This record gives sequence, structure tokens and C-alpha cells, in this order.
Amino acid sequence: MDHALPDSRGRFWRRLALAMPIALALTASAVGLPFGQEGTEAAEHAANQLNAHAAHAGATAEQLAALTKVLPQQAPGLSWAGWILGLPAIAAVLCMVFGFLKLRNKLPAIVTVLALGGAFVTTFILYQNYESPVTVHLYDWIRLDWSPGSTTGNGTLAAGQSLIADIGLHIDGLTLFWMLFVTGLGTLIAIFASEYMESDVGGNYARFFGAVSIFLLAMGCLVMGGNLFLLYLGWEGVGVASYLLIGYYYGKPSAVAAAKKAFIMNRIGDLGLLVGIYLTWRNFGALDYDTIFRAIANGSTGGETAYLIPYFLMLGAFGKSAQIPLFTWLPDAMEGPTPVSALIHAATMVTAGVYLIARCFPLFLLDPNALPTVAWIGGTTAFLAATIGLMQYDMKRVFAYSTVSQLGFMFLGLGVGTSYGAAFHVFTHAFFKALLFLSSGAVMHGFAGQLDIRKISGLRHIPGFKVVAYTMLVGCLWLAAIPFSAGFFSKDEILLVALTDHTHGNALLGWLGLFTATLTAYYTFRVWFRVCAGPVSYVPGDEHHGHDDHAHAAADHHPHDDHAHAGGDDHHGHAHDGGHFHPHPPRLAVNGVLAVLAIGAIMAGIPGYMSLAGGSNWVKKMIGDSTAVAGVPDLSSASGHAGHAELLGMNAHTLLLVISFGISIVGIGGAAYFHLLNRKAADNLKQSLLASPLTGWLPRALENKWYVDELYDGLFRLPVRGLAWLLAKIDSYLLDSGVINGIGRVPAWVGRYFQPLYNGVLQGYAVVMAGGLGLILVWMMLYWIAHRGGAS
Amino acid sequence: MSSLPSNLMAAMLLLPLIGAGIIAAAPRLLAKHIAVGSSLAVFAISIMLAWQFPEWTSGRFWPNNSASELALGVSFTLGIDSVSLLLILLTTFLTPLALLGSYTSVAHREREFYAWFLVLLSAMLLAFMARDVIAFYVGYEFTIVPMLFLIAIFGGDNRRYAAIKFFVFTFVASVITLSGLIYVAAARAQTGLPWSFGLAELQSFAQSNDFSDTQRYWVFVAMMIGFCVKVPFFPVHSWLPLAHDQAPTGGSVILAGTLLKLGTYGIYRVALPMAPGAAVEIAPLLITFCIIAIVAISLVCFAQKDVKRLVAYSSVSHMGVAMLGMLALNPVGVSGSVLYMINHGLSTGALFLCIGMMYERYHTKDMDKLGGLAKKMPIWAFFMVFFTMTSVGLPGLNGFVSEVMCLLGAFSARPSTALEWPGLIGPRWMLIAGVGSVIFGALYMLYMVGRVVWGPLKEPGHGHGHGHESSHGHAHAGGHDNHGLPPDLSAREVVTLAPIAALCLFLGVQPWYVLDAIGPSATTTIAAYPEAVKNYLRTQQEAEAAKGSLAGETTPEITVSPDATSATGGRISSLSDGSATSHLPISSATATP
Repeated sequence: MDHALPDSRGRFWRRLALAMPIALALTASAVGLPFGQEGTEAAEHAANQLNAHAAHAGATAEQLAALTKVLPQQAPGLSWAGWILGLPAIAAVLCMVFGFLKLRNKLPAIVTVLALGGAFVTTFILYQNYESPVTVHLYDWIRLDWSPGSTTGNGTLAAGQSLIADIGLHIDGLTLFWMLFVTGLGTLIAIFASEYMESDVGGNYARFFGAVSIFLLAMGCLVMGGNLFLLYLGWEGVGVASYLLIGYYYGKPSAVAAAKKAFIMNRIGDLGLLVGIYLTWRNFGALDYDTIFRAIANGSTGGETAYLIPYFLMLGAFGKSAQIPLFTWLPDAMEGPTPVSALIHAATMVTAGVYLIARCFPLFLLDPNALPTVAWIGGTTAFLAATIGLMQYDMKRVFAYSTVSQLGFMFLGLGVGTSYGAAFHVFTHAFFKALLFLSSGAVMHGFAGQLDIRKISGLRHIPGFKVVAYTMLVGCLWLAAIPFSAGFFSKDEILLVALTDHTHGNALLGWLGLFTATLTAYYTFRVWFRVCAGPVSYVPGDEHHGHDDHAHAAADHHPHDDHAHAGGDDHHGHAHDGGHFHPHPPRLAVNGVLAVLAIGAIMAGIPGYMSLAGGSNWVKKMIGDSTAVAGVPDLSSASGHAGHAELLGMNAHTLLLVISFGISIVGIGGAAYFHLLNRKAADNLKQSLLASPLTGWLPRALENKWYVDELYDGLFRLPVRGLAWLLAKIDSYLLDSGVINGIGRVPAWVGRYFQPLYNGVLQGYAVVMAGGLGLILVWMMLYWIAHRGGAS
Repeated sequence: MSSLPSNLMAAMLLLPLIGAGIIAAAPRLLAKHIAVGSSLAVFAISIMLAWQFPEWTSGRFWPNNSASELALGVSFTLGIDSVSLLLILLTTFLTPLALLGSYTSVAHREREFYAWFLVLLSAMLLAFMARDVIAFYVGYEFTIVPMLFLIAIFGGDNRRYAAIKFFVFTFVASVITLSGLIYVAAARAQTGLPWSFGLAELQSFAQSNDFSDTQRYWVFVAMMIGFCVKVPFFPVHSWLPLAHDQAPTGGSVILAGTLLKLGTYGIYRVALPMAPGAAVEIAPLLITFCIIAIVAISLVCFAQKDVKRLVAYSSVSHMGVAMLGMLALNPVGVSGSVLYMINHGLSTGALFLCIGMMYERYHTKDMDKLGGLAKKMPIWAFFMVFFTMTSVGLPGLNGFVSEVMCLLGAFSARPSTALEWPGLIGPRWMLIAGVGSVIFGALYMLYMVGRVVWGPLKEPGHGHGHGHESSHGHAHAGGHDNHGLPPDLSAREVVTLAPIAALCLFLGVQPWYVLDAIGPSATTTIAAYPEAVKNYLRTQQEAEAAKGSLAGETTPEITVSPDATSATGGRISSLSDGSATSHLPISSATATP
């Protein structure tokens, strides 16, 4: 769990030696970034880009033409939609007050659930009243206008005349689609957490729900905001909520480290996003989506640096959505309480990157290589994370890597041009992944923080855990994407487009995706067969995964009234060595939420069935009614990417269905063999792999997550620390003691002649200086008075 | 009616001095109450002044009448515009809170402490109000003396050295500034005009033909030396960490909150409008220092062990961002820079208050000895994390708007004569500065919070751990460690911090109030700069072209096309951009039939 590395001196230098050349190369290439206009090379590049645009234009112009259909109108009467943001804000403030008052009841949870539920209802009413895209202005925010009144000739390039970002909403299909599941899941998970976190009732309980409310507020700004700065506000806001919640158990150093890591890695992405926003502002002269996309719909491609916009935006997306190279924070983020993992680190926040790219889809068409880059990053991440997931023993970590992997699928979908597929997968994934996390949280809660899949077995036979085991099964089946599950429909939409697209090697990514899907089925059911099936046996955890040590103190009044403790022996802390451990099954709120989520996960497949029946579906309609329309097949272009595509001489749909059956059978069957029927075989296989020097590296590398953390340590963390140390020394010894005090000594030597030093050198020259100033002043006064006298 | 603003301003200047006088005569125990009372009265007057102020969005000065002469003919002209009024409000807002935060920490020679504090307030206000360089200088210089005593009497173990260093640094540097100012006035008098130290007069003279480029250059250098030390700017910053380290909490709050702003305010008000040509010539050097300050000093912060030193170094780095915005020389950057001054004053001042509250309880600022204080002091932890978030520029709080505007200003300040507001920075340097301020800035603050606020609880051992602190003399005065303070924040301390937090939130959510006020003033201040930058760029291009044609004679295969001449070779070329044909109308590429 805690991968804190022993920083021995030798390793430090070796890593540094490894890292420095790479760091230098990176810096050099960063400084060499073609920001345009910097000499002839850049001019050439710009010319190439122009040609590329011309070649690309045929494909994208058609897609962009659809954009004109979804440009919003100003809607003055809709300001009540602001309550979607206002309610969580009020809840956050109230939770803060409760925290100050150290309230010892569940009021924070009640307030939060009501606020989030209210936000959901408001969103739903908004959805009911929705007809076409609108913008709603709520408040002025950042306004700086220095235009002299006249505008320069070429309209779109009047950048640098004003900086306006208001707190306003951009409501279209994409927004509503996203907000519906964000607020819905947020409410459900808050209900779950009201029971799950009850051992912390008090200041910490308020802190938890306050941070959850802040998260929903920020997520609302991110998704509903009408301009890029407001998106950035939400972007960083969810980051800080995530920081506070990962570090919720702040007594644990690993949680604090994970929180910090998440924030910093996100910040790296954020800088990319910020530069992307600056570039957009410079090229399109505005920050609000309306102006930007209107300009694009009118045929503008911005200035000569516009082609860089997507690359910087995608860096932000990769940070928030844990893609290569910024993915290592997400597995560590599992240090947070499980409801947080479910809400923030699986269902909602991490999909913000997908939202960003879907929202700014027209900007990603500005450079022909932008979307393929997204596809390759996504496809590679999906594969890499799945391989790591194969060898993890911590239940939550397996699901964390599967989240990274599934996010990779979403980016693959965006990259191959189906924003519909990506958004659909976000939607289905939100349900089944939240379900998986919450059910693993229920297991963890019941077994005193045990998460090791080798230490719990046969959960479905343990009384009280039936709901957990079978809802988890639904989640696993959906994650494994067995045919006709929601996960199947969304994932296959992505893979279908990838496989039938023969540009940029996307088909190759499609096949890699299919292989990744096999791995997914295997590692998902590895968990389920280990934990839920098989003979009953369990070892309770040390309660440190889920609960801070104050949980021990709170154990006396731990409210488990419905559960009889044998002989008054409390399980917290010492039960596992006494052997009297009794798992305590979840109660109504937890089971209820799990059941609702399972039903939701099943229902999430409905758009897929509608699609199968040949018609359009709800998701397609919603995404098509937004700026992501260019990525919705059947709407963006007449030909359609995947409508009647053929693959290997067969109807692609049918073939993919067959392949998916095969994948499920191979993956789940493999998992059943190694982890249910013959559990020894898995160990034997691993041992035999380890025994051979040819293959021994593989399990080791997988178990150590491909050593990416170590690589980053060497590449960034240690050099930065070393550099910091070095610079601090330079600052204090060379600059301060050497140069500055050296200069300071000169007047002191001079001062010796005039003033006997009585209390140290510095005192002396201060007096000399004061005297000098006095002399200057007197001289000045005299000269001035004399001159004045002469003048008058 | 026109005398009303002058009366209000005179009242603001005199009231603290009267308060200081009363403190000197009053009983020791009343000192702090009198100080807080009179600073609150000054705050009230400043609110009245702001209420009366008619020029919020015009960029003009008020009152606009010239000289109200005092004895000896020094024209003590007072006048404020929106920017100086904002900084005055910041000063009058922070001072009572800094005093309130010092209630229990100052336990000896209270009368001196509070009296000097009020003198400091008066001096700062004078500097912000002055329209006459002598009046400005008197205020500017007079801030040094009270601060010297605050550090030297009430500071930590090494207080004498810190105080003297602070004094010598700022004093020597500001004398150089003064000499520059006097030089301009003298040169002006040489031409037969009557003597005047009026800022507007000097500035218009410095830009006239009677003043040569060389003179302008040296005058600007002289002024910048003083202001840069005060900011403090990168190579001359080393007095600040030491001064903060040793200063008492209240002193640190004012030092970081408003005293440093005198430097940037001086640059904004006095130096920049004085000599645009010279400023542009020196700008590349200053920008280099800015970027070094932002990146390198952020890393230096990361290596600190002492919380207060860390925040002090962060001030150096943050003021580097403010300076970068100022040197972007365009409205976004300069407005952002002014906003940055206010925001930095609030968040860093509040961080110093928080650290002071921690120090009062544990008598150490060493991160190795502290940890997990959230467990002991949850309310304190809330404020600490909150102000950390303002400091790292979390959107929705005040720091974000100014940081993002400074960086955006730097980003759009490309050296291109085709731009309306050309500058000398551009996207690449902004990216490097962004790494420093956005990533490293978060890195060291979270590192500090991660150690002090979060983590397992670690408190310095009681009874023996603070023996070395006894040189304070007052630390154990009553035989009790914590001055009778509760484990978590007392109501007084919450009252100290809460207004700042509220203001941070307000400025984060509704910054346009302030931006509306800053914008016109900023645009006026740098009105001469687009032309100056363009001239500079043209000169550079001509020099390059001359070099290029020279090279063309010796190596005939190089043909010099108009496009290629612009950016080749040299350090300047990496900054300069030069291609006048920048905005290609490539929209035709995707025009649909």
C-alpha cells in the first residue's frame, strides 16, 4: 500500500544520473516549443500547418458545419439554474459552520444529501425544460476592458482588448448529460457515506461532507461554466476537494503524501490547461465558449498558434483524468475514504478530462494530429493500466487501475472521433465503477479495513453480505463488458469506430483495445472469484486502511446497535489477534444505495439497446446537441463513421459481438480457473515465471507498476529536491553571505575612519549611512532654499 | 468641498501620530487598546474616503489641485487615484488586524511597540498619498525606522543583525532612489523652470527633450535600485527572509502585507511613467531576474525548514510574479500586478498571522519539530489551509485572478511590432515562469502544509524544548508558555483572521469591482509604453539587419529576405519576434463552399 521508498544515497545518485540527461532533453525540447513566429523555422512550420489544415479541411468542415446548429441563445429567464451551483455552496458553508461548532450529529450529512438531491432535482427540471442550447449569465466575475472603443479590422483577432470571464452557464446536451449523472451519483454516494462515515461523527464528519459539497460545487462550475476560466475554476476546485478528501485521514503519512501527489500532478496538467486557455484567448479573442465556437463555426481557425491549443488542453485533460504521463496519482488516491474513491476518483472528477475534450472538440480539430495523439495516449494507458491491474492484491487498487484503463478507453474513443462513444462510456462507467467501489468499501467496512483479495474469500456465503456480493457481481460483469451489458455497448461503440478507422493506426489501437478488454475481464473476475466466491475464510484488517486511529477512540460508541458483539469484544484494533472477529454487514443506506446503483448500471445499457434496435438514442441525442456534435456519428456527417462499417469482411457489429463473447469467456474463464477452481495454479504460474530469468521481469514489473513511480522519482522528485537544496545553499552562502554582505562591508571599512565601532560592524555603518543621508538632506534643503530665494 | 479629501487624508495621517502620543502617556496596559482603536478609526476614515472618492473608474487623481505648501516651501501635495486608494485601504485594513494579532505575543515594552506601529501606519499612508516626491520619500523612508525598532526590540534571537540588515539594505537603496529623484528636479530647475518636486511635473519633464536618453537611463536605474530592494527583487532579496524570520508577528504582517508593496507601488507610480525608453531597455534584465526569482526562489522555499522563512521566501517568489506582470507592460499584466499586490498582502499577511498564532503556542517554527497540528488546532488548520489555497492561486479565491492575469500579461507580451501592446516576454518565458509559480508554488506550500498541518501529531517537547527561546525575555515572563491561550484559536484570533478570509473570498468571486478601478489607472500609467517598446524593437531589428547585411557580404549564399532578418542569433532574438506579418488570415483554409 505504502510505497515509500528508502532513499539511500547510492540510489539517489544513480537515479539522478539516469534522470539528468532525460530532464535536460525534456527542458531543451520544451524551450524549443514552436510557439510560432520565432524565426523562419516557425514560419515554415506554420506554412506546413496551413497545408495540413487544407488537407484536413475536407473532413472536418463537414463536421464543423454541424456546430452551427448547436450555438446557444442567451436565456435571461433561466437564472434559477444557478441553484445547481448554489445548493452545494450553501451546504459547504453550513458544513463549515457545523465543523466550527463541532456538532456531534449527522446534520452535515443530512444537509449535504438535501443540497445534492436538490441540485439533482434542479438539473432534472432543467433537463425537462430544455429545448436548445442556451447561455445564462449569473454574475460578473473577471472583467477588464481596455479597448479604446474601436475594434481592429480582422474581427477574430481583436485579442488583447478585453479579458472577460463571467460566472455564467452554458447549458446544452453535454452539460445536462454530465450534470445529471454527477448530481445523481453525488446524492447517492452522499447517502452511502452518511452511514459509512458515521464512526467519525463530529468535526471530521462535517469536514468530509463540506469537502464533498465543495466538490459538487466545483464540478458544477467545471461542467456548466460558460467560459474557460470558469472551467478552470471548477478544474482546480475539484482538485482541491480531491486533495482534502484523499488526505481525509491526515494522521496517516501515506494519505498526506497521496493527497499532495494528486494535487501536484494535477497542477502540472493545470499549467497545460492554463496555457491552452491563454492560447485560445489570444487566437480567438475571448474565453467564453459561445464566442469561440461561433468563430470556429464561421470558418475561423484562429491565429498561427491555434494549432497548439489542443495539445496544451489535452495535457490538462491527461492530468485530471490520470492518463500517461500523469496517471500515477490516481491509484494512490485510494487512500481516501471509499465513497470519495467512488465519487471523485472513479465516477465523476476523473472524467473531467473527457468532458474538456468533448466540450472543446472543435478546438481539437484545429490540428490534424491532435485527436490521434489523444487516441494513442488513451489506448496505451488503457493497456498499461490493465496490465498493472493484473497483479495488484489490493481490491481498491485493482479497481483504481481499472479506472485508469477505462478512462484510457474513453480517450481512445475521443481520439478516434466518437465523442458519443466516449461520453456513453463515461456514463455507463460511472454507474458500474461507483458500484464496484462502494461494494468494495462495504467489504472493507465489514472486515475492519481488509482489502487484500488473498485474505477474504467466499463473501457471498457470509450472512449479510449477499447484497454486496451480488451487486459487485453486476459491477464486475459490466466492467468485463459481457455482451448486452451497458459496459459492452459503450466500450464496443469506441472499439468499433477505432477498428474501422484506418488512419493514424487507429485500427491497431482497436485491436490493442480488444486485448485490453480481455485483460479487463480477467482481472475483474480475479477479484470477484477471490473475494466473493470460493470457501468462506477471512482475516480482518488492521482498521488502518479505512479509519484513522481516532476510530479506536470512537469505537466505544460505535453505533452498531443491530449487531451483537460477542462477549463485548470489540473488533476494533485487537480483534484479529483474538480470533473473535465478526464481520459486520452493511445496513440499509449502504445496501439500498448498492441496489439502486446496480439497477442504474443495468438501466444505463438502455441507450445501447435502442441503438441496437436501429434507432438513435438518448445519449446520442444529448451529445449531438452540444459542441461535441462533430464526434457524434449520424449527426456530424452524412457518411457516418461506423454506421454500416465492415470489418474483416463481416458486418462490424456482428463480428464485434462475437469477439466480445470470446473475450468474456476467455477472460472470465481464465479468472475462474486460476482464482476459483485452482487457486494454487496462479501462484505456481507466478513462481515458474519468476524462476526463469527470461520471464522473471514480467511479474516483477507488473507488481511494481512498471516502476513508473520510481522513474518519476528519479526524473523529477529527486532532481527538484536536489536543485532546491543546492539553490538554497547558493542563496544563503554565495549570494547573501558572499556578495551582499561583502558589499556591505565596504562602507563599514570606510565608516571605521569616522566612527569608533562600539557594537559590531553593521551598527557602525548604519550610523554612517544615517549621517550621510542627513548630510544629503541638509545640502538639498540649503540649495533649495537658496535657489528659491534667488528665484523670488 | 474640495478641502474635504485633503482633510480626510490629513486626518488619516495625523490620527495615528496622535494615537502614538497618547500611548506614550497612557498606562502600559491600555496601549494595545488605544492602538487598535486609533487604527480602526483610520480604517473608518479610509472607508469614508473611498466612499467620497469620485474617480474610481476614471484613472484620474483626486483631489487634482496643486500644492498646499507647508513650511520651507516643500509642497506637500496629497492626491490619490484608484490604485493608491486600494493600497491605502489594504494598509488601513491590515493594520488593526496585525495589532489585534499581537495582543498576547507582545508582553514587554508594549507602549513602544504600539506607538511605533502607529507611526509606521502614518508613514505608509503618506507614501501612498503623496503626489510630491519629497513627501513620497519622507513617507517611504520613514517606514524604515519604526520597522527597525519593531524588529530590533521585539524580534527573535538574531534580531539585531536582522534589523540592521533590513535597515542598511532599504536605507542605502532608497538614498540612491532619492538621488535620482533629486537629479531630475535639479535638471528641471537648470532649464529655468521653477523648482518643483511634484511627481507629475518631474515625469513630464523627464519625458521632454530637455532630458537626454543617458540621463533618463541613469535616473531610472537609480530609482529602480531603491524600489527593487524594497520589493524585494531577486538578487537583493536576502534581507527579507532574515527580517521576517526575526520580526514579531505584527511586524511581519505589515512588512509582507504593505511595506513590500511600497516597492512595487514606487515602480508603478514613480519609476515606470518617468522614463519609458529607459525602462524598456532595462526590462530584459529585470525580466530575467523575475523569472529566476519565480523559479529558483520557489525551489529555495522548498528547501526551508522554518515555516516563517518559507513563507518569507515565497513572498520573494510571489513578488517576482507581480513584477513579471508589471514588466509585461500591457493592461492585463499591469492590472494583474496591482491586484497581485493587494492579494499577496492579504494572503501572506494572513499566513504570517497564522504562523504567529502557532508560534505563540509552540515557540518554534521548525517544521521538523511540528506536525499534524490539525488534530490539536482544527480551526487554526482551517485558516492555514484556506490561506495556503489563496496563496497557491486557487480559483475562486483572490490569488487566482491576479496570478492568472500576470501570467496572461506575460504570455501576450510578445515582442512583435504588429501588436497593439507589444512587450518583451512572450509565451516561452511565461511557460517557465508558470512552472515556477503554478507548479513549484503549489509544491512548497503543500509540502509545508503537509508537514505542519497534516500528518501524525508532533509537538515540541514541553519543559525542555524551548530553553533556547529564553533570550526573548518575555517568552516565559509569567511562568506560563502559552500566554494563557487556549489550545485552538481564541475568539480574538478568529476575529483577526476571519475578515481577511472573507475578503479573500470576496475578491476571488467578485474581482471585477477592483479590476474596474485598476484598469484605467494601469492603462494610463503605461500609456507611453507601446511606442517605447516598438521603438526598442525597431532598433533591435535594425541592428540585427545591419549585422545580417554585413554577414551577407562575406557569405553571399545567405540571402536576406525581409522575413528572415527579424529573428536570428543573439539573446534578444529569443525574446524578439519581429515578424510583422504575424496575423495570417488562414481562415480561408477551412471555409466551406
